[in-house]
Amino acid sequence: MEEPRIGVYVCNCGTNIAKVVDCDAVAEFAAKLPGVVVARSYKYMCSNPGQEMIVQDIEEQSLERVVVAACSPRMHEQTFRRALETAGLNPYLFEMANIREQCSWVHDDGAIATEKAQALVHAAVNRVARHEPLERMSVDMCPNTLVIGGGIAGMTAALELADAGKRVYLVEKQDHLGGNIARVDLTAPYLDSARDILTYLVTRVLEHDNIEVMTESRVERLDGFVGNFKATLGSLANAADGNAAVDVGSVIVCTGYKEFDAARITHYGYGKLPNVITSFELERMLRQGRIETKEGRPPQFVAIVHCVGSRSEEYHSYCSRVCCMTALKYAHEVKSALPKSYVSDVYVDMHAFGKGCEDFYRQSSEVKTLFLMYGRGEHPVIRKADPGDECGMLIEVNELLSGETVEIPADLVILMVGMEPREDVDDVAHLVSISTDKDGWFIESHPKLDPVATTTDGIFIAGACQAPKDIPDTVAQARAAAARILARIARGKLVVDAVYAEVDEDRCSGCRVCNELCPYVAIEYDETKRRSHIISALCKACGACVAACPSGAIKARHFTDEQIFAEIEGVLE
Amino acid sequence: MALRINPKLIDELEVYGAEDVSKCYHCGNCSAVCVHSSDPYVFPRRSMRNLQMGLEDKLKGGLEPWLCYYCGECSEQCPREAEPGETMMSLRRWLTSRYDWTGISRLFYRSWRWEVGAILLVGFLTALGFLLFGFSQGSITHYNGSNAFLPSSKIHVFDWTLAMLLLAVLLSNAARMWWYTVGRDRSVKVPMKSYITKAYLLPAHFITQMRYAKCARKTPWLTHLVLMLSYLTMLVLIMFFLSKMASGPKIDWYVHIFGYLATVGLVVGSVLFLRNRLRKSSAQYTHSHESDWLFLVLLLVVTLTGISQSILHHSGVDVAANIMYVVHLSVVVPMLALEVPFGKWSHLAYRPLAMYFADVRAEGLTRREPASVPSEGLRAA
Repeated sequence: MEEPRIGVYVCNCGTNIAKVVDCDAVAEFAAKLPGVVVARSYKYMCSNPGQEMIVQDIEEQSLERVVVAACSPRMHEQTFRRALETAGLNPYLFEMANIREQCSWVHDDGAIATEKAQALVHAAVNRVARHEPLERMSVDMCPNTLVIGGGIAGMTAALELADAGKRVYLVEKQDHLGGNIARVDLTAPYLDSARDILTYLVTRVLEHDNIEVMTESRVERLDGFVGNFKATLGSLANAADGNAAVDVGSVIVCTGYKEFDAARITHYGYGKLPNVITSFELERMLRQGRIETKEGRPPQFVAIVHCVGSRSEEYHSYCSRVCCMTALKYAHEVKSALPKSYVSDVYVDMHAFGKGCEDFYRQSSEVKTLFLMYGRGEHPVIRKADPGDECGMLIEVNELLSGETVEIPADLVILMVGMEPREDVDDVAHLVSISTDKDGWFIESHPKLDPVATTTDGIFIAGACQAPKDIPDTVAQARAAAARILARIARGKLVVDAVYAEVDEDRCSGCRVCNELCPYVAIEYDETKRRSHIISALCKACGACVAACPSGAIKARHFTDEQIFAEIEGVLE
Repeated sequence: MALRINPKLIDELEVYGAEDVSKCYHCGNCSAVCVHSSDPYVFPRRSMRNLQMGLEDKLKGGLEPWLCYYCGECSEQCPREAEPGETMMSLRRWLTSRYDWTGISRLFYRSWRWEVGAILLVGFLTALGFLLFGFSQGSITHYNGSNAFLPSSKIHVFDWTLAMLLLAVLLSNAARMWWYTVGRDRSVKVPMKSYITKAYLLPAHFITQMRYAKCARKTPWLTHLVLMLSYLTMLVLIMFFLSKMASGPKIDWYVHIFGYLATVGLVVGSVLFLRNRLRKSSAQYTHSHESDWLFLVLLLVVTLTGISQSILHHSGVDVAANIMYVVHLSVVVPMLALEVPFGKWSHLAYRPLAMYFADVRAEGLTRREPASVPSEGLRAA
């Protein structure tokens, strides 16, 4: 094999590397390695002069390969690849040796660290000599989007995309749009009408030329990959309608939540005591404009119990986020409908974190809501009052702000039921190849930096299906998902990394071990050829299939056996 | 045994002035800032909590409201504008009405119309009574001597009769106060010895108001002390030296100098407090219940009519002096008869009593089994 001409650059990273590793010695060592025609030590390789040094050497010394010994490739691999491209060299003819995180930062002994840096550089030089020029792939981006779920998240995202002139297919399981918001009267903390918000959205969605609404429908199948999905949609109302297939480039999952079943907590007596109701049952009363007990009388004592199913070790450990402010909203609504009533708010901690919420909490005190605090993990016990008592029920609880065990009179008890994932969350997750966390909420790509994307390219999540959230957060997330999709549509093409795995069809036995293993569902099985095939656009080059293939038929580009063995030899020499 | 919550109690207390207590969210800043708040009497937060929850028995058995002098620092610190200071003040009003077995106090605190009506009625009857008495046995042209319109010897008898009646009512109410706050609580055994060894606290607190002096601001304490000592001086003069006071027109300096000093103290004190309340100069003067106004206005009117009477008398204008005397009495009598046992004046008895009870009760508490003392952190505040 003819030795390619290699340039080696040892970065001092200011003193980050140089204070432990003798960078000049590493450069001198590298200069003697086979194929190395130039080896330099420099203060900051990632700086403009550092990059220009590489570009200049490539042009003047006709370098064919480049090694930079510096920080982690996560930090600057892309930087140096671009430098290679600038000089007209294929960016994959580059290798990085990590002598900072994995060497200078973790060693004190300069001599040993220098020796280790030399070994790492040797490995990189051996490897880079066997690199092949790779071409990045670009795929088409279909401008249509599939939105699953017609609640506030789904409708908001659909409108955002449709207003930008893109086609949206909005699939809703129920026979009407609106989701859980359609069950709510007013919203906290400004007491705006949910109906007004909803009417505006539903009217716009139904009238929009770019949105095709399919109620009583579900997504049967989703095939393909980012930019090129094919969704099969089926009717729930009438199986005879058959399935329809649509082409979409992206999918937004907005399947929302369902409420916790209050009957699971037996000492609340839900289902047994007729005047113990859930928050959604109160919403129905509020929307009908009449708050009354089952006996048809307006309640004198109303008690609201927080954290029903939430923040508990037994049921759900998470906070459902909207119940505290919703409870305060009830205090206001009950007080305004029945000014002579007494509202007790039995809470654990008051989570008033949102905009306007702390003020709302204060206003609730001003309308004389009696706040009673109980401990997390404890349960108020609701029982029937004695006949002749002025109230219908009594709630016994260890009240923390007074330190007393107290009995709270109540004629109507409202249980603030928390949010939980829908029953079919696993089916949806499987359908679109995304994951759920321990509680059943869909997992985002990154909790801070990428909260609307998922680990499957082209699949986005918005609203309460990701985690409990209120309306403003849901709307923000829905619009963010739409914006991410519009940015991709605007670029027209999607560039896919050149590093992916390939199946050598001649060697594949069609055993399908890899199909099950792939975490990104990137491997298809071709029934006619009886061979597995990797969709390169979906492959993340994790290498699981490469290691697992019993026939050795799968090769990972840029991570060939030859390259890896050469690297190992370099370290050991 | 679980305590029954009564959400209706704050509605009742609202009439007594506790309008903002529901805003409290129990941060405890008020208890932290109060110099008087210390174990086992930690307040105002705890009292506010008992009130919010309507724990009537606990409130009725609480001495804390009387241990507060309303310097106003808690209300200034409160992040929720829940007015802890005013809540304690309202609780004092409410407690006064609870200690009083006649129900008159309750009636007055709940309706200023009743209170003013009663004062006017008693004032009118007093005026009528003294006029009839005067005309029946003397001459309106004579202030002193055997033919005096209102001879001091007779008035003295009336004074003492009234004083004994008031004392009887006050003592019976004080006994009820003791029962609610110390006697009724079976868990606290106060040894008789404590009652005796701590008895000095009653006159000590009464005369020096040393607890008030501990508050960060000293001016309210000083004004209050001057007003109280002036009132006390005047009371002693009237009860024991009435004949000397009424002598004249020559001025008897050995007695009169105290009278003049007390008069100046009463005028200055009541005018200052009235001015503070009108200007709402600081937190404790911002909320003025009708009973607060009535207290100060009556005191000022009594003082001013007394001054006028004295000037007229010493000027030798006996007819006018006699008429002014009747006017003076028709203000003094309702003030003493109605305000001392049933109104704001009663705090002159309840406050020193509460401090005395608080100390003996605290001694009783230390004799309790340690296990029954609340240990949980939240309880302390």
